[in-house]
Amino acid sequence: MRFAGVMLAVAAKDLRCELRGKELLPALTQFVVLSLVIAGFAFDLDASSGPRLSPGILWLVLVFAGLLAFGRTFAAERDVGSLEAMLLTPAGAPAIFAGKALGATVLLVACEAVLLPAMAVFLASPISPAVVATVLLATVGMAWLGCLFAALAAQTRARELLLPVLALPLWIPFVVVGSRAVQVAMSGGGFGAWAPAGQPYAVLLDFDILFLVVSSLAARFVLDD
Amino acid sequence: MVLGPLDLELAAGERLAVLGDNGAGKTTLLRLLATAARPAAGRLELLGVEATRERERLRARLGYVGHQLGLYPALTALENLEFFARLHGLGRERARPALETVGLGGVAHRRLEQLSRGQQQRLALARSVLHDPELLVLDEPDASLDAEGRDLLGALFEGRSVVMATHDLALARGLCHRALRLRAGREAGDPWGAPRAGGPSVRPREGAGPVPLPNGRAAGARALG
Repeated sequence: MRFAGVMLAVAAKDLRCELRGKELLPALTQFVVLSLVIAGFAFDLDASSGPRLSPGILWLVLVFAGLLAFGRTFAAERDVGSLEAMLLTPAGAPAIFAGKALGATVLLVACEAVLLPAMAVFLASPISPAVVATVLLATVGMAWLGCLFAALAAQTRARELLLPVLALPLWIPFVVVGSRAVQVAMSGGGFGAWAPAGQPYAVLLDFDILFLVVSSLAARFVLDD
Repeated sequence: MVLGPLDLELAAGERLAVLGDNGAGKTTLLRLLATAARPAAGRLELLGVEATRERERLRARLGYVGHQLGLYPALTALENLEFFARLHGLGRERARPALETVGLGGVAHRRLEQLSRGQQQRLALARSVLHDPELLVLDEPDASLDAEGRDLLGALFEGRSVVMATHDLALARGLCHRALRLRAGREAGDPWGAPRAGGPSVRPREGAGPVPLPNGRAAGARALG
């Protein structure tokens, strides 16, 4: 109960600061739209090639938007010393970390709310509920893992360089399973289309639970030691 | 900064001023006492609790203000305190009286970035006493404070043990029972008495009572326990 209260308080604080400061969301939105425009020109996309290349473009944009979003999550706290101020309360590092990760997840979902419709407009990508579900499932695990490495990287001077080096290799499972699932969904398959072959949604959910637990356990050592 | 062997005892309600030149180890000592850093060796017991093992339990009984204030520029003064009250597991209603205590009731709804540095320092002091801690650890709390703000320190210290680093000898004399001078991370004698050659020297002073403040008022120290 106390854990949930702290987590929600930290996430609400982060979102309130973001809505007032408008640091990250406008930059993420701009990044997403520009990436799609560049992809459109670079791949010379048309009505037939757009949907075919969409899964790859979706994950590329999502991964780099995630790096941008998670990198700021802890760096901003470190800059003003507020992370230490939070840790010096009895709230506990795991609950504080969970709040930060929840806030980052919501931010990335907001970014996806721009990305997916923009893909439908610019690339004529067929966005179905199955695509949305896949992206949301991958977002949770990526956010928790990304935040853990962002917390680690924020303690170093080369944090902008360290975060991609640490996070990208461990995001590969999400990208591999997610891109396959999105490919199937975009080619007309629904929730059940991939089920006999590999159940990507269950696999993504497993990854989410695994990384959520592992990163929450590791948070105490990363943040408070 | 390496802190040398230091045998420090502080009685309940006692106030200790930590003095010394830049780089003497004042901040390192205070960060250890605030559980913001871990000692590489030795034993640290605070309020009867082993500080390195039970940090979260201890943090509910400690208040700390460091060089970095650790507040959120996008939040108002009141919102900052409400947030930290929630991290302490307290109700939001604790925030308003704490603001009034430091004379910031009139600017409760102003964002931190709209407050002067002195007002921000007062807000950080309000946060440090929000949960009614038994021990206050303050790193140059007089920084940026005007004369009225400095007078507030005496009121905040009422009934609490305090360890305070400062460069202002007059303020230290007015608010604290004892002083400890550090030089290159080691104890360099009592600045209010004769320098001592070595050995454990920082002991609770017998019969220490209220100390007159520079403006003639009494600081109101509690009798030593």
